[in-house]
Amino acid sequence: MKLEGTHTILAPRDLVWQRLMNPQVLARALPGCEKMEQNADGSFGAELKVGIGAIKGAYQGRVEILDPAPPERFRMKVEAKGTGGFVKGEATLSLAENAGGTLITYSGEAQVGGLIASVGQRLIQSAARQSLNQFFQTFAKQVQSS
Amino acid sequence: MGTLLGERIKRKEDPRLIQGRGHYVDDVKLDGMLHMAFARSVHAHARLKSVNVSAARAHPGVVAAYTGADLKGKVGLVPCAAGMEGLKVPDHPCLAVDKVCYVGEPMAAVVARDRYVARDAADLIEIDYEPLPAVVDPEKALAAGSPLIHEKLGDNVAFVAKLEGGDWKSVEADKSLKVIKQRMINQRLAPVSMETRGVIASYSPGEDTLTVWSSTQIPHILKTQLSLMSGVDEARCRVIAPEVGGGFGSKLNVYGEEGVACFASKSLGKPVKWIEGRGENLVATIHGRDQINTVEIYAAPDGKVVGLKCWIIADLGAYHQLLTPAIPTLTALMIVGCYNTPNVFVETKGVFTNKMATDAYRGAGRPEATYIIERAMDLVAHELNLDPVDVREKNFPSSKEFPLSLVTGVTYDTANYQKTLKKVLRLAGYPSLRKEQERLRKKGRYLGIGLSTYVEICAMGPSSRMPAGGWEFGSVRVDPTGKVTVLSGTSPHGQGEETSFAQIVADGLGIPYDDVTVYHGDTFQVPIGIGTFGSRTTAVGGTAIYRAVEQLKKKMARIAAHKLGVKPGELEFKDGKVETADGQKSMTFVEVAGEAIFAKQLPPGIEPGLAEQCVFEPANYTFPFGAHVAVTEIDGETGEVRLRNYFAVDDCGRILNPMLVDGQIHGGLAQGIGQALWEEHVYDENGQLVTGTLMDYAVPKAFHFPWFETENTQTRTPVNPLGVKGVGEAGTIGSTPAVVNSVIDALSPFGVRHVDMPLKPEKIWKILKQHPGN
Repeated sequence: MKLEGTHTILAPRDLVWQRLMNPQVLARALPGCEKMEQNADGSFGAELKVGIGAIKGAYQGRVEILDPAPPERFRMKVEAKGTGGFVKGEATLSLAENAGGTLITYSGEAQVGGLIASVGQRLIQSAARQSLNQFFQTFAKQVQSS
Repeated sequence: MGTLLGERIKRKEDPRLIQGRGHYVDDVKLDGMLHMAFARSVHAHARLKSVNVSAARAHPGVVAAYTGADLKGKVGLVPCAAGMEGLKVPDHPCLAVDKVCYVGEPMAAVVARDRYVARDAADLIEIDYEPLPAVVDPEKALAAGSPLIHEKLGDNVAFVAKLEGGDWKSVEADKSLKVIKQRMINQRLAPVSMETRGVIASYSPGEDTLTVWSSTQIPHILKTQLSLMSGVDEARCRVIAPEVGGGFGSKLNVYGEEGVACFASKSLGKPVKWIEGRGENLVATIHGRDQINTVEIYAAPDGKVVGLKCWIIADLGAYHQLLTPAIPTLTALMIVGCYNTPNVFVETKGVFTNKMATDAYRGAGRPEATYIIERAMDLVAHELNLDPVDVREKNFPSSKEFPLSLVTGVTYDTANYQKTLKKVLRLAGYPSLRKEQERLRKKGRYLGIGLSTYVEICAMGPSSRMPAGGWEFGSVRVDPTGKVTVLSGTSPHGQGEETSFAQIVADGLGIPYDDVTVYHGDTFQVPIGIGTFGSRTTAVGGTAIYRAVEQLKKKMARIAAHKLGVKPGELEFKDGKVETADGQKSMTFVEVAGEAIFAKQLPPGIEPGLAEQCVFEPANYTFPFGAHVAVTEIDGETGEVRLRNYFAVDDCGRILNPMLVDGQIHGGLAQGIGQALWEEHVYDENGQLVTGTLMDYAVPKAFHFPWFETENTQTRTPVNPLGVKGVGEAGTIGSTPAVVNSVIDALSPFGVRHVDMPLKPEKIWKILKQHPGN
């Protein structure tokens, strides 16, 4: 499953970068995120409650930031597993200054397995897109209001 | 013979089934019964670094939780009965140990006081996987460097079988022959029985007995296997198949879950129940078909087929279930269809992939054969610009040539292929359909007329060619009230043999049909048996009963003759009496039963009682055949195929109850047409099953079909005294190629010669789009 898109945040790039690296901010913006903490190795551990169609479940996730080039670009590796199966993926996010704001461009590939794959196949792409939109909207609000 | 055979009699089974008064496995509730749920792999291929059940064990209401390691050495492996030369058989534990090889493979089990608690606790099992690259395409699995499903076996090839005959040198040297080649895919299907699988194992420690209720087609074979797997002496094992809501071959099996249930019950001393969910059924009950076929036909310019070569790649999935590798060998066996092609070469490769095992699904290997040969016959017609009817007629053997021994090693019993074809063409109005097609084409409408003339192999079968015996047991007993109890070693699950067996018995004994009760599916009640599969129940099981009735009549005639002072040969059984032809000397059936059972004045040498049994061993298979015509119309805008008419003329030998035959044909057609147009079980490239619900796996509904116009011819078989052949799979076998041939025929103005199934609108739409002229 490919996921691609852009989002504009009306805030300076340095601030957006800083907030993207802050687990507390991410936790508040990520739909269904109950907890996010930085692990000793620098990765983020997350607990999520997510529902896709009929499959609702708790997931333990791990987000790793790779090759950070502040404040321009980073790669993100995500792995989550739970009652509904697993999700794993990698994405590249780049931040560009754009008319006083910041344009975030993301592009990634995700793989799902288990129940979410067999039951949620038709819904997963739109569900993922919806979650991402929700994340960026909430994230933008938080960054812009600070 | 009396008058009951051949009658359109309503099914004895239906009142209870229609009113929801039947009892299936899930309706059985035992004292102290526990419930089991499974944790299944979410990866298609992975090493199991750890399976931690401690959280599940600690969950309130959980009684036990087991991993593959807990079972190791205590429960036998999941059995494969296919005894093929050189076959590679990987270890197949009931719960995965060290490694998982397909999505849905059970790795751990939880037993709890409540079904829902068991399910919830199964989600608490922590599994640490180390994912491995998966291979889902059998051709990629054959390639060098492919991931290995079972490293110990060295490669992913389970077997290679060759079937060869004739004089290929001269065929290949004959340059006048046209060689027609086609690759075709017979996609993976899900059997989707209405009732999913289910099992209750109940071990009594005091008696050391194991009683198992299972939704199975083979209670006796299951009993033997569960005895071996659980270590309980077979004499103390009992398997009961209560009402079974369909199987289509998927319950002709022994599953790991059954082994775990027996182990759990034995360990806990309590009954343990497991009822499969629909999602589990789609992912972890055997699948059907899944072959890649490359066929090469050598045809003379007049349409005579001289030679046939076929390369079969059979996707077996990750492990062998009971008959997994044997199924594609039936494809090779039946590949020439109803044409006596003298030169044949078939190579079958069974390949392991990271998917659920394939095994018997309605037709089991024969639908694939029929699809190959019937598509090929249409390709011959297409290439040589002949009518598909003429090509078939050109290659049919005459009815006088039977029994007909073929180069493939089978001997067809009886047939009249010309007769069924002629009948279906008349029923369909073939010449006027062709004219209509012509007319509509001019208006830009695309009508297709597709033909299939099939022969199949059934009434399985002679024991010499079956993995675990091909005979069947039947017994008939008369009680003092004159009521008759019939026991059969078969295990019908929807086919209606409680009705047809009662017809055989009532007809033979000249008593009311309602006085006969048929029992099956309990190994304590029925001493021995094989089961219901391969369209064998009436032809083999019915014959055992028929023979037992004949023996019983002999005995009753001797007893009555002694009493009446006549010769046994003078007596007839009719209208509830045993009497002389002129009716002068007569006893009621009940009176004769009383004489036999109370045994006051029996003739010398006659044992008291009236109970006779027979084990019938068939000398050959039987070979039902038929001719089908499918009329389709393509929607030029959407590419959707509308099945406008379906005509089927089937010959299953002598018909005992036309209503049962119609029922089998209608259901079979629905599944065969379903494969042609809609059904497809799909894994993605990582081995994830993406058709995991009935929203995604397209089982056809009644509204998808027109009324099926069905008729029969009746060519009796000499293989059994009833003259019956079998009809359980014929509809499925005959219909798939008829529908595909019809759609290809509709698309012929676009130069299309083949499209792989299922013929979904998107595929057809793309073809139409490539020809904007339409």
